[in-house]
Amino acid sequence: MSLLSVNGVSVAFANALGTFTVLDKLTFELQPGKVLGLVGESGAGKSMIGRTIAQLLPNRFHVTEGDLRFDGRDMLKTGAAEQRALLGRDIAFIPQEPLAALDPVLTIGQQIREHLDHIGRGAGRRPERDWRKVAIEALDAVHLHDPAGVLDKYPHQLSGGMCQRILIAMAFLSQPKLLIADEPTTALDVSVQARIVGLIGDMQRRHGTAVIFITHDLRLAREICDDVLVLYAGKQVEFGPASEVFERPGHPYTRALQLAIPPAAGEHRGLFTLPDRMPGLMSLKQMGGCRFAPRCPLAEARCHEVPPPDVTVGPGHRALCHKPEATPGIAPPPALEHRHRDPDAQLLFRARDVSRHYITRARLFRKPDTFPAVRSASLDLAEGEFLGIVGESGSGKSTLARLLVGLEGTSGGTMELLGRDVSGMDRGTAAFRRENVQMVFQDPQSALNPRRRVGEIVTQAMEVMNGSRADRATRAAELLQEIGLSPEMAQRYPSQMSGGQKQRVNIARALCTVPRLLIADEIVSGLDVSVQAQLLELLLHLRRERAMSIILISHDLSVVRYLCDRVLVMYRGEVVEQGEVDAVFANPQADYTRKLLAAMPGEGAPAAEKFAAEEAFA
Amino acid sequence: MPSLPLWLSNTRSLIGFTLLIFIVGAALLAPVLAPHDPNEQDLINMLLPPFWVEGSDAAFPLGTDSLGRDILSRLLYGARVAMTVAIFATLGATLLGAFLAHLAGYFGGWVDWLIGRIIDVWLSFPPVVLSLILMVGLGAGLWNVILAIVLVDWTRFCRVLRSEVMVVRRRDYVSAARLLGFSHVRTITREILPATLPLLITLMALEMGIAVVVEAILSFAGMSVGNEVPAWGQMIADARQDVYNAPSTLILPSFAVFVTVFAFNILGDGLRRSLDTRLTQTERA
Ligand SMILES: Nc1ncnc2c1ncn2[C@@H]1O[C@H](COP(=O)(O)OP(=O)(O)O)[C@@H](O)[C@H]1O
Ligand code: SF4
Ligand SMILES: [Mg+2]
Repeated sequence: MSLLSVNGVSVAFANALGTFTVLDKLTFELQPGKVLGLVGESGAGKSMIGRTIAQLLPNRFHVTEGDLRFDGRDMLKTGAAEQRALLGRDIAFIPQEPLAALDPVLTIGQQIREHLDHIGRGAGRRPERDWRKVAIEALDAVHLHDPAGVLDKYPHQLSGGMCQRILIAMAFLSQPKLLIADEPTTALDVSVQARIVGLIGDMQRRHGTAVIFITHDLRLAREICDDVLVLYAGKQVEFGPASEVFERPGHPYTRALQLAIPPAAGEHRGLFTLPDRMPGLMSLKQMGGCRFAPRCPLAEARCHEVPPPDVTVGPGHRALCHKPEATPGIAPPPALEHRHRDPDAQLLFRARDVSRHYITRARLFRKPDTFPAVRSASLDLAEGEFLGIVGESGSGKSTLARLLVGLEGTSGGTMELLGRDVSGMDRGTAAFRRENVQMVFQDPQSALNPRRRVGEIVTQAMEVMNGSRADRATRAAELLQEIGLSPEMAQRYPSQMSGGQKQRVNIARALCTVPRLLIADEIVSGLDVSVQAQLLELLLHLRRERAMSIILISHDLSVVRYLCDRVLVMYRGEVVEQGEVDAVFANPQADYTRKLLAAMPGEGAPAAEKFAAEEAFA
Repeated sequence: MPSLPLWLSNTRSLIGFTLLIFIVGAALLAPVLAPHDPNEQDLINMLLPPFWVEGSDAAFPLGTDSLGRDILSRLLYGARVAMTVAIFATLGATLLGAFLAHLAGYFGGWVDWLIGRIIDVWLSFPPVVLSLILMVGLGAGLWNVILAIVLVDWTRFCRVLRSEVMVVRRRDYVSAARLLGFSHVRTITREILPATLPLLITLMALEMGIAVVVEAILSFAGMSVGNEVPAWGQMIADARQDVYNAPSTLILPSFAVFVTVFAFNILGDGLRRSLDTRLTQTERA
């Protein structure tokens, strides 16, 4: 018997404007001990499925039809008290934001104790010493160092990866039958991600827990899931065994998402860019036929009018499409021409033995304690070249970027820009550097001032030059046009834009002064693959139009492989390897590079084995 | 209520603001509203009760004090002193505290260290002791009261704001502004100050309440304005000997202090709530 069976379940949201369907007639099953992946772009309704199963729907959302059974129980008929008891005991949650899920004013120990009380194994029945023992064992099982010490810490004193491990430990405390993990690794970098995923898999096998794994990373889903459900605008567009769905996708959307991801190995190919965005809730009502039709490369007249049927395309494999047989015909665009270093290209930037030490503890009369965030990094960058910098978080990538643009002074080494020494931080140097080098920051949330309008943000550089209002408006329109946003967006505030749009604004601001070198720090991490593909296309477009150089910092190696000519690998503040992308990826020299390549999802051994889980967290 | 500005669309701010309009109105219009000269002594009509008590006189609606001075007129004029101190002391403390807080939080390093140490030394004196020492040193007088409050209370602004500035300073848009050629001054005024302003305004509202109390205490102790200027604290002090036969002479000025402080606090609280939610909306949505 299946652990969870969902039959024709719809969820709607009601407000003054009417009732809107959020999830439309979902039908799937989950067997005990299996892993089901939920994939799709953000906003498709993935988290809503998790909330529906756990009966944790937000206000004004309710199930309008269908049948939902968990462990033989009709979930739509159980009382609130019973549901609360189920949650945390039989159904456990690992939320997307580990820090938000932990209470900032309680120590980890206090929170684990509360949780133990809730699931009925806690201090209420056992002596004080015992809950500590249980907690320490649980933390030990997720390979946390010094579990006893962690119990007395507050969440903000721990890294994201550590918090995520604690939540995993708490989730498995009650030996739940079902675990719902909502993008548990999106905020973490590859090597930590590999360990967390390995850990969930480990615990899942040990306890025979069924898992619903929500992710927008198709490669990850392919690696760890038994079954996969692809969601688009609240519709279940494809469902089936993971191997089937990813080998022989029946729905054009699944195929398009797959082709939007740069391949990590093998043949180079172009990226399939899905146009526009998924339709919002409000506009769904007007769509008569297939919801994917406006973006579908195979769409024809009937797709816009007739709702597509749920077609069986393989054993246990269904797709919601008029012509799933045509899906394999969707071809990726041709590969980019990878250029080799042009020996005649002018040298744009050169850094020699650049380093940066942070003072970790100042001392009177003695040399302070320092921490070397960057050690002796050297690089050459030719005009028009794309250089990738990869490495795990904390390896010094961002610090190096800040040194290169001059946001921070170096502790040693020299830098040259267009033949002129720019190692110093004086006014003239700063102005010269500013004209030629600009930076796009990692987190668009923090990089855009929430109190400025988009038009003001992108032309901020003109504020210092006292550009007139009219000049600025004209320039803003030009820049927005160039990065693919409509000029009306100039009137918006950043909070009124999607993640991908914010990132475009972030890029446009750096382009205002027409720099020759753009340093982009993790600008596509955490975005949907469709948006990522659009942004990568934008960078390529800029290279063609402006003959610009780019230094792209990323922890996603396949992105670097797709876009960059050369790559530089950092580990613990040091450059351990650099060279042409194809050479480094095909034949890595440094041990660390080999490890990094192996940790990519979808490559080689299962995630659990790639990084020994007991390895210390950085 | 679409016509109200956002910071007022909150019951708390609205109550506080309305009360303050009345208090400020009373202070400004005191010469017009007051039925008598606040210092005019009417020795025939001493210790008259307020209108709700038998034996009151319609010419002195809130009664008179032991020298036969009209309490209503003295309360109205007293509001002038209270408001003057509230406004100028708060402005001074804000300017000094916010200036140093932005310097410390923005530049960090030794600037921060130095300002931090000054605050530590300052805070090692209990505020009451410090203000008394200052008042003794400076001598009595309205402007000295203001100066003393500024010198004592700027640390409150500085400490709270400094950590806020440090949070904002770490946002990438501040780095971006520097990269686009913004000078330090422009970065602070255009990128950081707008983000710290809500907190600053809230602190100012609360500080005004504190200033009113401190002025009342100092004028109670006779260290504020001279005898010829009516002040609430002084009225309370004068009423002490008659507290049993004329309790209203004590209760009325105390009530004036209470209402004013309440108005400032509830306004500050309301501002904090509405400005906070506005921030969470724009920064997280
Ligand atoms: N202001 C700072 N003070 C002390 N250490 C820092 C500071 N900024 C960064 N670091 C340290 O420098 C190392 C490199 O950080 P970063 O450049 O941000 O890495 P990445 O971009 O690869 O994630 C990390 O160990 C980090 O803790
Ligand atoms: S039904 Fe038509 S529009 Fe929809 S996915 Fe299939 S081919 Fe594309
Ligand atoms: Mg980084």
